[in-house]
Amino acid sequence: MSDLAVAPISSDEIRAYLATQLPDATDLALHDVAQIAVGWSHETWLFNLHYGEGGESHVLGLCLRRDPGNALLRHLSDLGEQFRVLKCLEKTNLPTPKAYWYESDPAILGAPFLVMEKVAGSCPSPWGREGRAFYQGAAERGVLPREFTEALATLHTIDWRAVELDFLGVPASGRGFAEREIAKWRELIATTAHPPEPILTDLIGWLEANIPPTDRVTLVHGAYRTGNLLIDSDRVSAVLDWELQVLGDPMYDVAYVLSDLNREGTHLLSNLVERDAFMRDYEAATGFTIDEDACRYYNALYAMRSVAFWMSASDLYASGRSNDLRLARTAWSVPVVLDRAARDLGY
Amino acid sequence: MTEDELLQRLSATLRTEIGPAIEVEYPKTQAFMAAVVTQKLGRQVGLARVHETAEAADFNALVTDLQELTKSSPKLKKLDDAIAAFDGQRSKVELCQVIDALYGERAELGEAQFARLLARIRVCLRSSIDRQMEYAA
Repeated sequence: MSDLAVAPISSDEIRAYLATQLPDATDLALHDVAQIAVGWSHETWLFNLHYGEGGESHVLGLCLRRDPGNALLRHLSDLGEQFRVLKCLEKTNLPTPKAYWYESDPAILGAPFLVMEKVAGSCPSPWGREGRAFYQGAAERGVLPREFTEALATLHTIDWRAVELDFLGVPASGRGFAEREIAKWRELIATTAHPPEPILTDLIGWLEANIPPTDRVTLVHGAYRTGNLLIDSDRVSAVLDWELQVLGDPMYDVAYVLSDLNREGTHLLSNLVERDAFMRDYEAATGFTIDEDACRYYNALYAMRSVAFWMSASDLYASGRSNDLRLARTAWSVPVVLDRAARDLGY
Repeated sequence: MTEDELLQRLSATLRTEIGPAIEVEYPKTQAFMAAVVTQKLGRQVGLARVHETAEAADFNALVTDLQELTKSSPKLKKLDDAIAAFDGQRSKVELCQVIDALYGERAELGEAQFARLLARIRVCLRSSIDRQMEYAA
């Protein structure tokens, strides 16, 4: 977002902060500083920190993310939680950026922020022409589709208790996970001034009446798709976008992969993976059987989540908390999702 | 010039003149997004009167049908009250309450009656969303 609720920060301010974290370092300098636009949530800067220590020169690639104060979903996932999740994931085989520092004190850089490793690779957008061409080429080469599936399988087989991710909240077995998700998105909808939508009421009624029971609880990413994965030489170098993670039914992620939301006109899941290959490789790597009925259910739950997103996003604009017209545009995404949801419910 | 014509003209100017003239990326994107917003808003405003009339007719028919369909049902306080409220104030707020009550009293209604009432409501909801898609899609 461009309309910062907090003042811009300079390279000098970032350097001064880093100097406090690296007291033995000398001649600190930031190179290749770039503020990048990723998503609609936090502000992000990438840079290389050059410094001397112990008579040697060092270069550390870093990524700084700051909460601008008006980020979409900010009350559902703050940077402090992201930092904690990344620290837990460092103890696993899942490729994620190393988390260095988190500061909640707005006196330091104007707002809470975290500093993490700048991982090698790029993150082509699946929505753009270049990104689509990249994933099409990667699909033909064949390595990245397997990596995509393997990384999700790794994520779902993490021993989340052992790495202390249970702070995310362990859902009750049976209906607990879906009930908690429904409650979460209902709460977000209630915070908006959006007028009531009867199709949404119908959708929620259907969701509450058809919850698939599950006793399997894993780490769930919540938005696992191309565009949220850093790619380096056809390898997944980092799983990004730790804003929607929960402990719950792994079919929630599988449903997101299987849905046609992220295909951009191709038959390939996430623009990248053949459906049969994904299902075969995922089941082999996890030992889980993909429950397609549960996936259909979670697809409907994603419709509720999308409506909550778009209502929240458009409300940020309507209430004057943001002047980003991309958010205003999302007011018309609400009926588009509701139309799709109604079709999924059979009308 | 009507409101919707004004908005459509504004949208065209943003898309064909203002947007292309801006060189800096973020403001340029915002100009094109403003063109999209004003275009959709223009279409919505232009269709508003026709849509309001159609929705009022749909709601009137729905109230009549719900009252007819529930005549032979067991009396259920929440659903009956919600239908009565919808009869008094034929708006989306009251319709949401009817749907809530329907799901809430599903067991008492029985599956067949629940399905009958929900199917009738969904006919109305389909018409409504089809209208919204005329400007949102």
